Amino acid sequence: MSGGDVPAVRIEGLGKVFDGRIRALADINLTVREKEFLVVLGLSGSGKSTLLRCINRLVDATEGHVWIFGEEITAATGARLRELRRQVAMIFQQFNVVRRHSALINVLSGTLGRASLLPSLFLKFSQDDRERAVAALERVGLGGREHHRADTLSGGQQQRVAIARALLQEPKLILADEPVASLDPALRHSVMRHIEALNREEGLTVICSLHDVDLVRRYATRVVALRDGRLVWQGAPDELNRYTYREIYGTEAEPATNTVM
Amino acid sequence: MDDRAAALILAFAWNLFSSWIGASPGRALVRGVPRWEQDLDWNRTLRGWFTVLFIELTFFSGWLITEVDLPSFFTKFSKASDIVRGLVHPSGVVLHQGLVLLVQTVFLAFMATAFAIPLAFVLSFAAARNLTRSSRFSRVMYTAVRTGMNFTRAVEPLVWALIFISWVGIGPFAGVLALWVHSIAALTKLYSESVESIDPGPMEAITATGAGTFQVLRYGVVPQIIPPYLSFTIYRWDINVRMSTIIGFVGGGGIGYILKPRVDLGEWGQVGTLVLLIAVTVWLMDLVSAKIRERIV
Repeated sequence: MSGGDVPAVRIEGLGKVFDGRIRALADINLTVREKEFLVVLGLSGSGKSTLLRCINRLVDATEGHVWIFGEEITAATGARLRELRRQVAMIFQQFNVVRRHSALINVLSGTLGRASLLPSLFLKFSQDDRERAVAALERVGLGGREHHRADTLSGGQQQRVAIARALLQEPKLILADEPVASLDPALRHSVMRHIEALNREEGLTVICSLHDVDLVRRYATRVVALRDGRLVWQGAPDELNRYTYREIYGTEAEPATNTVM
Repeated sequence: MDDRAAALILAFAWNLFSSWIGASPGRALVRGVPRWEQDLDWNRTLRGWFTVLFIELTFFSGWLITEVDLPSFFTKFSKASDIVRGLVHPSGVVLHQGLVLLVQTVFLAFMATAFAIPLAFVLSFAAARNLTRSSRFSRVMYTAVRTGMNFTRAVEPLVWALIFISWVGIGPFAGVLALWVHSIAALTKLYSESVESIDPGPMEAITATGAGTFQVLRYGVVPQIIPPYLSFTIYRWDINVRMSTIIGFVGGGGIGYILKPRVDLGEWGQVGTLVLLIAVTVWLMDLVSAKIRERIV
């Protein structure tokens, strides 16, 4: 393939079975183009988290292949695997910041994939990286909080620290696993807007799992839906309606009352 | 012989009594073991009878094996009254020497703990299940470290002291080494259990940045285990102070070194002084360690 049309992510025949008996994913085929904002929908337990984690190999798939910008990450090991992971930043539902480290050190930990080993073990980073970390915190609205310990920050602030950490990683792809599900509804857009900015302004590809249909319509450029570990639907955000909703969530499900379908 | 007979009679009487209140093993045999066994009272099932019989037998064998002698316990207190009188009338003769050796005792425990920390710290990662699932090498390492530490912990510090006394000679350093070995094993176990209970989230996040193994441990694991490690370490120092008071019995230094000969000579007043010193120290360590650990956690 020539440089321009290499997809950001290509997934073929991906499957995952936990402990030899619990099937989480089955026969996933999916291609994500560069600069897409792809939202993955599905009930909890439908395999969204596992799918995202198979892309950066936090979980090892049992079947199938994943390519990131043309390189097969499912075949990579050791230094090569870490090299590929560097290009993929991840944002988590539970923020996963290091609670006892300062906001600044948390942001700087995004550079660990390329930082030199020994200084990094003593929490020492280059002046250049430190300045970029301060700027990144500024950018997510946490200027002046550099030296606050992460566990003194609110949930929304911790998630913004995590976004700043992703920024410092200089990735080409962002995986966001339910990034706003643990946040107060009023704060959701404040976090989503930063992820959107990475997509629109920095041209990063985003794969984000969500379950709030309003957020999907507002931010997604394309939507895929998982049910029982299988891809059951894909389409544009404005194709989501009462019928597709039932298809994705099952006949028992009702759209939230405040959602205009 | 009398006790033995008494025990057997007691056992027999208990069996008779239980048959009288409920069923009998014979009856259970004749009826067979019903399917709904688990719903029945114990005295209506064969398994219930055997379980009770087994517990009774264990208790009465224990009575015979440990030579339980209730008459002596209740009638011969006077023989020990000398000792008790000595203990409550401490003698000042050994106070100075005792205090000096008490300082040695506390430092003996401190050095043993301090030497154990770095080794236990490194070993605890290898002995934590959640960090050793990924490769065959790490699984082998886990089993090797766990087995080695269990063995080390099974050998009492007094036995280790005997080994180290032959090695480095009688004195506090042998005691330090004995408690050191035991502390490595004990701390590795405690430390690795706190590694096993960490939140895996930060580890995932650091792994996702492309960080290497040591960086994942440094950022994803270490910050989470520092408070429990400090707490366990102080707790261990506390335990080591108790142990170091008797490690001198076999020649490992500390206050036990002068306690043992006074016990052998029957100098109960001096023994009383030393025991009091030990009690106050242990009590203080306990208090201080609890206070510090409260602050940390």
